[in-house]
Amino acid sequence: MNNAPDLSRSDNQLLAALPRETLALFGQDLKQVSLSPGIVCYEAGDLIDRVYFPISGMISLIVPGRDGEIVETGIVGREGAAGLHSGLGERRSYNRAIIQIPGQFAVISATHFGRAASNSAPLRDLIVRYVESRWAEAQQIAACNALHSGTARLCRWLLQAADCTGSDHVPLTQEYLADMLGVRRTTVTLLAQTLQERGAMRYTRGRITLRDRNMLEAGACDCYEAIKRENHSFRIGIDV
Amino acid sequence: MPMYYFHLSNDEKVLDVDGTNLADLAAARTHAFGVARELTFKSEGLLDHDWSVWRMLVHDDGGTELFSLPLSDFGTGK
Repeated sequence: MNNAPDLSRSDNQLLAALPRETLALFGQDLKQVSLSPGIVCYEAGDLIDRVYFPISGMISLIVPGRDGEIVETGIVGREGAAGLHSGLGERRSYNRAIIQIPGQFAVISATHFGRAASNSAPLRDLIVRYVESRWAEAQQIAACNALHSGTARLCRWLLQAADCTGSDHVPLTQEYLADMLGVRRTTVTLLAQTLQERGAMRYTRGRITLRDRNMLEAGACDCYEAIKRENHSFRIGIDV
Repeated sequence: MPMYYFHLSNDEKVLDVDGTNLADLAAARTHAFGVARELTFKSEGLLDHDWSVWRMLVHDDGGTELFSLPLSDFGTGK
């Protein structure tokens, strides 16, 4: 019996999908913490030392380019976890992972998580399935960046970020959106103005509020639905 | 570094409310071309405007129009 918050009923969908016996393997090693934006989970190449399960915040995955340019290549919210594959053995982070939207996160050391995974075939299966689903998502995003307009991709990212945090208030700056979309900040300003004028969202002082999800979903490319479907079918496939 | 504003104009206007600091007019021109390409890239989605009938108007801090360019020169339009 421990006094930690009941993480089996947390808003993190991976934790919520785990059987009780599997969650019990974590015991008190899985803790809920509050994390602020800018905290670095891992730099590219770092040994993964902790696994992060977002509950209300969001982690941004970054690949740095030349001259200090960065591109956001993915986000991790309550649908998943960062560093999950460290459960299969010592792993290094491919990219930089930072806290982008502050909130609550369930965190466990990679050592403890690996120990639990070594004792649980269902947990190892979950890890592999999760990695497969992120690989599918990465392929979809690569195709999306090649095929779809800035407007469509902005709609998709806004919907994904809102799904990640479970809120229509998305505290992301236009600078961050520019990095997410790989475009100039001016382009984001112009696209955001367009969406605002259409009533799809409101943007003030670093805080975006989704106002018309239906419109955003109509404006997003098919990739949004494809990624959501992939996420959903991965969770359905978890052995309970 | 001076501020430049990259507005879009058709029957309506989409205003660059934030502006960007750039070194000089040549840099502003390069920036304008870059933004125009990014805006018009594959712009066939439901919420995309038909940018081919829009112009980009580049202003300085005082509101003077420095140059403009037709977005029809970029992308594939609708």
